[in-house]
Amino acid sequence: MAREYDHLFKLLIIGDSGVGKSSLLLRFADNTFSGSYITTIGVDFKIRTVEIDGERVKLQIWDTAGQERFRTITSTYYRGTHGVIVVYDVTSGDSFANVKRWLHEIEQNCDVVNRILVGNKNDAPDRKVVLTEDAQRFADQMGIKLFETSAKDNVNVEEMFMAITKLVLKTKKERKERQAIQNNDTVNLRKGPKQNKKRCC
Amino acid sequence: MQGWVRTSRVLALAEHDNNHALFVFMSSRMPPQLFSDLSIERVLPVDADFRCEIDTDSKHQDEIDVFVNISSRKLKLLFEMVPGIKTSNFVGEIFRAIEVFTKRRGPPPEFEWLHKYASGVGGQRNSGNSLSGMDNPTSDTLESGVEGLTGQDESLTDALLGSPEISVPRQSIAKGATPIAARESVIKYQMAMKEQHYTYTQVLRVYVGTWNVNGQPPTIGLSEWLAQDPEPPDIYAIGFQELDLSKEAFLFNDSPREEEWQEAVLNGLHKKARYHKVALVRLVGMMLLVFVQEQHAAYVRAVATETVGTGIMGKMGNKGGVGVRFDLHSTSLCFVNSHLAAHVEEYERRNQDYHDICSRMSFTRFLPPKGIKDHDQVYWLGDLNYRITDLDPWRVKDCIDSGNYLPLLTYDQLHQQHGLKNVFAGYQEGSITFRPTYKYDPGTDSWDSSEKNRAPAWCDRILWKGDGITQVAYRSHPELRISDHKPVSSLFDSQIRVIDAAKYRKIHEEVMKKLDKLENEFLPQVMVDNTEVIFDTIHYLESQTRDLIIANTGQVPVTFEFIKKLDDSSYCKDWLNIEPYSGFIMPGNKCDIKLEVFVDKKSACKLNSGEDKLYDILVLHLEGGKDIFITVTGTYERSCFGSSIEALVFISVPVREIPVGKLMELENAKEVTSTQDPYPIPKEIWFLVDHLYRHGLKQPHLFEQPGLNSELLQIRNWLDNGSPDPLPGSIHSVAEALLLLLESTAEPVIPYNLHSICLGAASNYLQCKQIVMQLPEHRKNVFLYLCAFLQEVLCHMSDNGLDTKTIEAMTRTEMYFIKYVVQCVLSISGLNEEQHVVLFAVPVV
Repeated sequence: MAREYDHLFKLLIIGDSGVGKSSLLLRFADNTFSGSYITTIGVDFKIRTVEIDGERVKLQIWDTAGQERFRTITSTYYRGTHGVIVVYDVTSGDSFANVKRWLHEIEQNCDVVNRILVGNKNDAPDRKVVLTEDAQRFADQMGIKLFETSAKDNVNVEEMFMAITKLVLKTKKERKERQAIQNNDTVNLRKGPKQNKKRCC
Repeated sequence: MQGWVRTSRVLALAEHDNNHALFVFMSSRMPPQLFSDLSIERVLPVDADFRCEIDTDSKHQDEIDVFVNISSRKLKLLFEMVPGIKTSNFVGEIFRAIEVFTKRRGPPPEFEWLHKYASGVGGQRNSGNSLSGMDNPTSDTLESGVEGLTGQDESLTDALLGSPEISVPRQSIAKGATPIAARESVIKYQMAMKEQHYTYTQVLRVYVGTWNVNGQPPTIGLSEWLAQDPEPPDIYAIGFQELDLSKEAFLFNDSPREEEWQEAVLNGLHKKARYHKVALVRLVGMMLLVFVQEQHAAYVRAVATETVGTGIMGKMGNKGGVGVRFDLHSTSLCFVNSHLAAHVEEYERRNQDYHDICSRMSFTRFLPPKGIKDHDQVYWLGDLNYRITDLDPWRVKDCIDSGNYLPLLTYDQLHQQHGLKNVFAGYQEGSITFRPTYKYDPGTDSWDSSEKNRAPAWCDRILWKGDGITQVAYRSHPELRISDHKPVSSLFDSQIRVIDAAKYRKIHEEVMKKLDKLENEFLPQVMVDNTEVIFDTIHYLESQTRDLIIANTGQVPVTFEFIKKLDDSSYCKDWLNIEPYSGFIMPGNKCDIKLEVFVDKKSACKLNSGEDKLYDILVLHLEGGKDIFITVTGTYERSCFGSSIEALVFISVPVREIPVGKLMELENAKEVTSTQDPYPIPKEIWFLVDHLYRHGLKQPHLFEQPGLNSELLQIRNWLDNGSPDPLPGSIHSVAEALLLLLESTAEPVIPYNLHSICLGAASNYLQCKQIVMQLPEHRKNVFLYLCAFLQEVLCHMSDNGLDTKTIEAMTRTEMYFIKYVVQCVLSISGLNEEQHVVLFAVPVV
């Protein structure tokens, strides 16, 4: 029977209030942008199915409220997340300064998770205050990838989501392989080469 | 469409015990409003005879609507549906039902459950009977779509498609819980509809050959038959009959000839190209070989072969057909090689053999299995054995010798039967310009010279069916003389649809995006009119409400619930009440939620001490969808109610006159260090008791009759704010205020840690007295003060009616504390030795 997808991943978008988390999601899932700002009061998700190397990956992308007062509640939504997108606003130094806090939040609430750093609103050079070099240096230090995007102009959004999806997929495959090796070590003595199980989520 | 009637119908797919049936309803009005508008026209069980396919016929391509062919036994219906997710889901469900049937094990179902609807079948209106069954589906679930050409019926579709049973799986897509087949079939169908956008046509040369070799081994080369054209064909389909006439071949289907002839064919293929064998299939003497040029091999998919015997007993393989099917790029091809019944007069048997092959040749590796007709292009070749009748053999031979085939063809049985559509309906055959291929003396070009002296006949034929096929040549090859038949071949220029991989990916992505968008639109959506609910100042025991409106702005019904967050034990704080806290809203509808804040003794202490604030974040969860945070805030006006005795004795002014921080400080201080001497008992208790002492000792039903709520609030304000006016309210209200005040203290007068000791001491008067002496100072004061007061009260028993009987009656009320105090008084004062036994056994609030 035909399958609907090969992998199902949960992605989470976090970052300060007003950096454009919902806009990034709206751009990626519905390819739309709304200039008017509606603050997210809660957590919402959208789905999008993409194909990577012939495999169908269904993404369930959660958008969270960035406001400080909701931080303890939103942290409960980190559970079961495969990848986290940490967003700042390139026109707001404060939002970039807070990235550390958000990364800390991830460490507190997730076991192993792929992360990606995103500087959004990269569409008005005269208002840009977080320099690419600074952000890149920080990203390198933290060992994560940096993307500068514009949900408004649809720049780099698709690429960013695909990058985190690929990271998550890669992690999953590596874990599978490790498990297969471990299985081989322990089981194969008697049974001979064990066939890899059919992939599933 | 001739002979077709266009009318509006409503369709429903019903399930019973894992069997499905399609109900076709007529409706007295369109759109139907009530169930009574509908009457069952037909009920089609989804069984082996049920077929459903999406009609991608070119004549419908310009129209927007979706055409679905449904057939069951002799009945054929064409439904025109408005495209969209509803239609897609509905058709998806039908496909799923078919799949369920084909995968089913055990004997075929009887569909007895449909009998009760049968009375309505056949067009009679019999709504009373048939619909009562529909109205009350016990274990049946209904799914429905609406079809029709006049007014599309959105409302009913909504009502039926929007029912929760169906919305749930859709929501679970989003959760990723259940991958459903419906989406896959929608993608398939959408891609099929867009095929022309990602395919282009490539014309390939197809060579089809057939030869009855009369059991002879291949002693000659075959290139004169197979490779006489200047350019090599792209596809070869070569069929043989009577490959082996031996008993072994017949009985065991085992023949060395297979290998020999395959070798001969391989050697005879066109030398200008290299070929890849797609398949070989053989049944006794019938063999079919299919090759494609190597350059096409990578695009050949889903190869399957099948054989059908129609010979002795109608089953054996001496007659029948063999078939090969495969997909080349995006076009499905089927080649059938058949050897039909022999003998001049047996043309009806031949027709029957053809029909048997058609109905029985089923490529079962597919679900549902594919028949011959389920292919874009069909090529049928073989020794069909149709003869020339009603003419003397010598006249036939005369005509042939003069090259005048036309009159002969009118006597050709295949021509006749084909014209009558008794056989090969829908197939075409090119005009015959070659001599009959049967029957020759082997090794010669001379007609049969045996006793039988058979009349010549065009036994060996090639027909085709499908679009984009042009016959280029149709000929026989008399140079090959080893058999009593001459081989025949035909060349076709056939249009094969080739997928443009880049375009396919792009369109596939578009389709996926569209479906994702639909899926997102089908997530539950609501608007909440206010996510920051702010209350005015909240007073003790005074409730305040705010309304919240949840409007379902999405396309699916919404089930909502306020859920617990983090480690909370409830979905909201105990001073808040949400009504209703869960519910169900249909699209376009609203639900009013009442938020009520009410601070009682349970929550007052924490609010007074600052341990809790009037602040809460509620999580409104939509099942299968998002969560919305609703913030509730308010200010609590501190009060002597809910304060502790220890804090109150240090407050000499009304509670509201001291700063918030001071009250918290007093409440939280373990050892009070105050410059000012405390009162022996809280002044608020004194105010109330003193008032009762002065004005209420003779009040009948004292402590029995409840006070008025409005007066209680006045008394509370009087105590908290201070006032030069006399204490407001009736004696009964003051009495109740005293009880409430004592009840609301952060800890009871007898502290919790002494309760078990009290129970142990209950039978001993001296121990009881000792415990009282051990109470913390201010509690002891309050306790003794109350005892003294109650002794006074009991002195006026005759007026206020408070006696031991009343005490018993009070047990049945909730006023435990007063009962406790009264009994205490009785025992301490020694009035009644019996009663101290129950002294401490009474629950203490």
